[in-house]
Amino acid sequence: MEPEPQTTQTNLHILPQSSYIDSLRFLPPISAFSRHIAVASFNSDTSIPSLTLHSLTTTPTLTPITSFTPSSRITSLKTTQSLIAASTVTGSVHILFPNLINGTFESEVNVPDNVLHSGRVSGLDVLESGGECVSVGEDGRVNVISVGEDGRVDYRKVFDGKGLVSFTAVKWASQMEFVTGGFGNCVQWWDVRRAGGPVSQFKGNWAQGATSGIIHSIDIHPSRKHTCLAGGSYGTVFAWDLRRPQQPIVLSGIDNGETAACISESDVWEVHYDTFMSASDHAKLSSKGVLPAMICSEDGILAVLKQGEEPTELLAENCAINCFDIDPHNPSDVICGLEWESIALLTRA
Amino acid sequence: MPGLLTPSNDTSSSIIPYSSDSTTPTVYTLNHNLKPPTTPRLSISWSRGNSLRVTVFRSPVTTDNEPGGKVVELNLSGEDVDSDIEINNAARWRRIVYGSVSPFAHLQNKKNALAALDEFRRSVSHDGDWSKYVLQYSKEINSLLGSKKSSPTPLIEDPKTVLKVEEPSSLKAAWELLEIFYADKQSHPWIPEQLVDWLSDYDVLFSGQVPSVHLKLVEFQAELINIQEVENEPTYWQAISSALAVGWLDIVVKLLRLHGSYQLNQLGTRETENGLVEAVAVLVSKMPRMRADLPLGKLGECYNNKSDFMRAWEKWRAQITKLDCSAFWLQCSHNQTKENLKNLLQILLGNTSTVSSATCHWVELYIAHFLYIRPFTSGLESMYVLAQKCIQLKPISTPHKLMRLILGILEENTEVVLAECSRSFGPWMIAHATELLTAGSVEAEILLKEERDNLGGISIEESHRLVYAQVLSSHALTWQIAPIYLISCMKHGVGLLEILLYKQPAYHSQVLLKNIEICRMYDLDSVSSTAMKIAGVHHWKHGRKGAGVFWLQQARDEVRLNRIAQKLFDFVGKSISDESFEQWEGLIELLGSESKTVGGLEFLHKYRDFKKSLQQVQDGVFTDAARKAGEALILLMKNPSTPQRFWLPLLYDSLKLLNWRERPLLNVSQTNMLLNKLQELSVARLRPDFVEAGLPPEALSSVRVALATNLGRAILEE
Repeated sequence: MEPEPQTTQTNLHILPQSSYIDSLRFLPPISAFSRHIAVASFNSDTSIPSLTLHSLTTTPTLTPITSFTPSSRITSLKTTQSLIAASTVTGSVHILFPNLINGTFESEVNVPDNVLHSGRVSGLDVLESGGECVSVGEDGRVNVISVGEDGRVDYRKVFDGKGLVSFTAVKWASQMEFVTGGFGNCVQWWDVRRAGGPVSQFKGNWAQGATSGIIHSIDIHPSRKHTCLAGGSYGTVFAWDLRRPQQPIVLSGIDNGETAACISESDVWEVHYDTFMSASDHAKLSSKGVLPAMICSEDGILAVLKQGEEPTELLAENCAINCFDIDPHNPSDVICGLEWESIALLTRA
Repeated sequence: MPGLLTPSNDTSSSIIPYSSDSTTPTVYTLNHNLKPPTTPRLSISWSRGNSLRVTVFRSPVTTDNEPGGKVVELNLSGEDVDSDIEINNAARWRRIVYGSVSPFAHLQNKKNALAALDEFRRSVSHDGDWSKYVLQYSKEINSLLGSKKSSPTPLIEDPKTVLKVEEPSSLKAAWELLEIFYADKQSHPWIPEQLVDWLSDYDVLFSGQVPSVHLKLVEFQAELINIQEVENEPTYWQAISSALAVGWLDIVVKLLRLHGSYQLNQLGTRETENGLVEAVAVLVSKMPRMRADLPLGKLGECYNNKSDFMRAWEKWRAQITKLDCSAFWLQCSHNQTKENLKNLLQILLGNTSTVSSATCHWVELYIAHFLYIRPFTSGLESMYVLAQKCIQLKPISTPHKLMRLILGILEENTEVVLAECSRSFGPWMIAHATELLTAGSVEAEILLKEERDNLGGISIEESHRLVYAQVLSSHALTWQIAPIYLISCMKHGVGLLEILLYKQPAYHSQVLLKNIEICRMYDLDSVSSTAMKIAGVHHWKHGRKGAGVFWLQQARDEVRLNRIAQKLFDFVGKSISDESFEQWEGLIELLGSESKTVGGLEFLHKYRDFKKSLQQVQDGVFTDAARKAGEALILLMKNPSTPQRFWLPLLYDSLKLLNWRERPLLNVSQTNMLLNKLQELSVARLRPDFVEAGLPPEALSSVRVALATNLGRAILEE
């Protein structure tokens, strides 16, 4: 078998902005040539946060279409077929229904500060089918928000940690289950039908003696709902299989003499399963291994990690890459939010 | 700050230029209900960026809602810096700031690598490799300041568009000057031609302050649409001669071909006239130029060797003289054409008075001298003498900042150049330009790198970097960049970096993580652990116990963890026996079981295990589970980290174990140990600081009885 080349042909465009990019997401396309992205940004000169819809042309250029002012800086941003959900540092959650054909927000639902969470909402996720939205915060609360067809919201508290624990990331696993992450590389598996606490939990303390970290981001692949992918401090990226809860698969990070490569020693800000695959990748996929994962880090790296292989670096910037998103309909395209007030558009060949 | 306080004539009374009419300062009112007499107070402090905050605090004279004080925020910035549109735009300015980080850091790395080599002596500036790096650095910075004439040419060019409207920045103009004189050593023989190019790019910048050739051309272009026969207009000929004088040959040729004699219907009657115009146009486009190459669209013939150039130059001038004396002029009937073409030939021949009247300010005249009068000028000294001569011919009362910079460079006065960079272009310029200056000459290098007592023992170079780092530190989006500049400062860099990091709000989680990352890069462990401690205490105080414990654990702060442990035990004593155990799970999981990092908190972990097994015992009757619970109890009671106040509640909770029906769960020595603990507790109760657990009064006696019974059964069993 000939060795797989570790380089990917990429085409990069950096689009300077005039505000700090907190988060960004692709929106579902309305036609083959028209793509839109949602960008959460913060203008530090005016101290005004905003959530802006941009149309992305092939040139490429970003043109702002419409914008919404949230109550404070956005901490987490998620999009589905029909809605955009955003959480803020002061504890509010905004749910917006965009109309991409008119370029407007049709309606919006706001849950004000201190209703769901007191203080920073650190993570938020929306079920792909719409409707249910789960939010977690540093205050240790876990809430599920239901958005009705008529735009009515209803929320209920799943858990109140009363500050004894803090959550930093969340992701739905199925209609009923979700996974949270927090301090000390802790990951918890929850079932909304079982109140009172997590179903299962895991503490990533393989880095004995070394300092422990924080989980910044979690992803779960729709085809493998029992495995979650988590990324956090000190370049840590691991997969946790609910069926083997005590044996995490470390993809990157400081490990106890294991073979995982360390792509970065800084915070891994976001992880997503990489849905862009070549034919040879498909052939190599087994039902056992972890699917390829894309990460972005504080030290400016955007890379694809594959179990048992050398990581593929897609970008090495001089500043942090704070967030990224893979176009779900065209997975060769990736957008990244760079620390130095710019958005990078990367196209893989 | 060095070189900043040069007194200037116009603003003699103010140190920092502040124009009151530019923006209305923000005023905040302070309302307070303090009763008089209060001492009026005035305080001045720096706010974000260049803002100065002046606070006046006093008691209200009358009581009717008069504010008890005011805060005024003034934005201070250098006049020139502020007036530049491109700098005013904060976001565009930050783009330059971001972009210059990498070239700067790269150059510093190269410098350190070279310094590490033994061969690296003080003769850095003469090292070929080094000047290559400096030039590369200069080009990278230059490209940040704006694109170089990259606007695409339209497919159908409008014959009447003479000039392209563009807005170059004076910052770029200044940087290019420094590059020409200090960084681009390879092109030194072509400095005059480089200056010709420079002026053609940036003459527009002078237009705002003095009349210029560029301005003349812009005005003419506006008129051009309404003119029928250009050759009859004096402005047409003036525009051509001015453009020729400063060497914009492409424009000259383009304008000449607008001449009426080119029109098809006139060609027959004005054949000689047209021939003369075309002859001049050809001569202009064939002008020999001493330079390596010409950009596309520019006219002339290049010679990169002095002797070849000299030969071509002589030949070209001979052709001009020949045309000047030609008999065809007599046959030319159009008088204006004849006179003005002759005038153009005079410029080409270097007639001093013609050249002088065709140019507007001294820099243009200076360029004209290079082109037509003294093309062989070389060496800064003779260039300076020539500049002085041009200034005498075209004096200016208040010279433009770029003119001052040119003079400083030609004068070889590094201090003047530094002062100009600092005064007109601000801290960014000077922090980055020092690299070019030190590469320029050994004298400049010594001047910039010498440690000075009046600067507190640091060099001018370091002081400028520190000032720039200070500017970066004052903005929320650029403070992260400041460490890169601070770390390149040998004397005070690390100290100021520590202060910068200490000043960041550690309780803001994103800032804290950034802080830790910077500390990790520069090995500042003590700084990051302090930040983690601050964050830990902040979270703890705001009720986020988990986050508080996590950060204190990360900082390995045993003292605070132990203090926190005592407080947590109070909570535990109250709440853990309730059914709210689930809430504690997360925190206890976080604490882990390693005793080293958690202070007294490892107790909680064992306590949880004990409680769990006890719960199992209560759920059903399993002797095995009961035995395990008994073992956990002994472990807990033996462990020195178990707080004394938990002894009795623990024993009381395990009454069921002590009275286990089937067989005694604890052996003789274990029971004795528990009895001893009970005895110890009775003694401790007499001390005033003893904390009573909230248990029923008969708890102690029932535990004592249970232990005694257990002891009896155990003895029998053994």
